[in-house]
Amino acid sequence: MDVLVRQAHPGPGAPAYHSVEEKLASARAYQRDEATPWTVLVDDLAGTVHQVYGGLSDPTYLIDADGRVAHYTMWTHVPTVHQAIEALVEQGGRGVVRGGLDRLPHMLPWMTAGWRGLQRGLPQSFTDLETAAPGTASATWLGYQLRPLLAPLTLRATPLPVPARIALLAGVAAAVALGARRRKRD
Amino acid sequence: MIARDAAQQFAALDGKMEVDDYNFAHFRTKHLLADLRATLAKQGVRPGDMAPDFALPRPEGGSVRLSELRGRPVLLHFGSFT
Repeated sequence: MDVLVRQAHPGPGAPAYHSVEEKLASARAYQRDEATPWTVLVDDLAGTVHQVYGGLSDPTYLIDADGRVAHYTMWTHVPTVHQAIEALVEQGGRGVVRGGLDRLPHMLPWMTAGWRGLQRGLPQSFTDLETAAPGTASATWLGYQLRPLLAPLTLRATPLPVPARIALLAGVAAAVALGARRRKRD
Repeated sequence: MIARDAAQQFAALDGKMEVDDYNFAHFRTKHLLADLRATLAKQGVRPGDMAPDFALPRPEGGSVRLSELRGRPVLLHFGSFT
């Protein structure tokens, strides 16, 4: 089930909510745009349920058959959630699985998937995010354009080993440095 | 609307946001920092704890109460249109 909370990145086409009716209309648009086959629910204007469940921007809870939290992914990451579901099925639908908590901010998948949401609030959503955390809005756009290439990384259930992460960062840094050098030469 | 358990727990919640702060008009650095602080503090419902009950409306009409889904696992995602 999806619970619709506040506008995370408001803008002219998707302003902050002032009523539950606005949220319901927004949820209907979301269902239409995304053709969601799952249940969509709408929290109240104060975000009562959202705040009780921690208030993070994009969390996922897996709740077991007894109504207890089996796994809590604080920054939703589909492969991690998928592994938790498989583990819960394997142990009969009850109990805590895979340590119960994943609080790793999976930034790369967020960068490739976040653009679709950000698009709805353009241009303000972009400028606000870029001002709040320089480079992230641009990275989200770039990540979305490059998503087929990045899929082997974004769909990994486990983070890359440290040497691979260092090599990747070094490669990006080298590409940026080369680009800057070429630009200076021109 | 709505939230039986959740409303009681919300009333007792430390550091809850008021309606206007919650529905901010502009995303700011403080919102990102709040998420990072919440992550470090493991804010939310702990694994093994009962998921607070609630009943929320569906956009197409009707509502869903979490406790009525007992007997099978439930995937609960909180997200934004933007």
